[in-house]
Amino acid sequence: MKTFLHRVIRLSILAGSGLAPVVFPADRPEFQLEIHNHLFQPSEITVPANTRIRLLVTNSDPTPEEFESYELNREKVIMGSRAGVIFVGPLAPGEYPFFGEFHPKTAQGRLIAR
Amino acid sequence: MLLTAVVIVLREVLEAALLISILSGLSGVLGLRRHWIGWALAAGTAGAVTLGASIDTVSGWFDGVGQEVTSAGMQVVIYLLLGVFILMVILRRQRTVVRDRTLLTVMATTVALAMTREGFEVLVYISGFVMNLPQLMTVMVGTLIGSGIGISVGALLYYLLVNLRQPWSQVSGIGLLILVASGLASQAALLLIQADWLPSQLPIWDTSAVIAEDSVTGQLLYAMIGYEATPTAIQAGCYIGGGLLLLAVALVAALRGRSRRGNE
Repeated sequence: MKTFLHRVIRLSILAGSGLAPVVFPADRPEFQLEIHNHLFQPSEITVPANTRIRLLVTNSDPTPEEFESYELNREKVIMGSRAGVIFVGPLAPGEYPFFGEFHPKTAQGRLIAR
Repeated sequence: MLLTAVVIVLREVLEAALLISILSGLSGVLGLRRHWIGWALAAGTAGAVTLGASIDTVSGWFDGVGQEVTSAGMQVVIYLLLGVFILMVILRRQRTVVRDRTLLTVMATTVALAMTREGFEVLVYISGFVMNLPQLMTVMVGTLIGSGIGISVGALLYYLLVNLRQPWSQVSGIGLLILVASGLASQAALLLIQADWLPSQLPIWDTSAVIAEDSVTGQLLYAMIGYEATPTAIQAGCYIGGGLLLLAVALVAALRGRSRRGNE
């Protein structure tokens, strides 16, 4: 059972990592956000609607933050002085608020899909 | 600050607490010893500390989506373990020999993995305040309150479960586990969508006007049955497919036992 489970996990990771770049090419349009003093910069970002984008969130603070959005269904921890990649969309045209879960009072932003 | 800490910790603790209360409730109903909980809590804490300490490295895996893939992998393993557990519980009822030790190990591993996944985030959150003592104190108080609420909700569910009449306590325990497992399957799919390993689609419906995900009901339903206001077709498929698969396993095992008993 144990070895079987191991094999399944290893195979699926291999298959996943091997196939992912082939099936889903990485040429997503990239957009960047920065977290600085627990604020998002820019706090408003416009992206194309109905397109899958690659959001690069750089955390310039020394403390960790969690990018979170109920509307976008996204959640990711970004450690201090690190950057994180989050794939978003395709989105219907509209406004999608996001926030830093660890500092929600200040870290607020909106993604506008047009 | 205090409220933020309470909400963050509660969200994470709730999911693990519900799983622990269902499994420990079933342990009681099945007449199993409950010492596995101690081991599971210890292993889960160790797991959360390890993952929290190495999250920098983990995040870098697979071109920056290691966090998503690792978390999804853990969800899938918990899903499979819950499936194995449900099957073993039903077979055991039919006097098929299932070693108690195997059953306890499966439960302990499930809880340890769930705690690792939920706990690391709390630790990362707290780690952001270690350089600021007054804030750290507030965060710790929030952590205690959040954990307290989460554990109380878990305890409530536990007593509801163990006070039901047989076989209803077993049936509802297994039913709840199937719902939890379905939620895990759809969450794993969501994480792989976020990592760009699965194709993304527009949501198939939006129930956020009825039950918002950030409302108390929404949070509770999310922790319990993996509620999602705007799921995509893949997520909904994984939820329904994952749930039906476990339901089928449970029904086939139960019917097999009945027909065998009929032949005797």
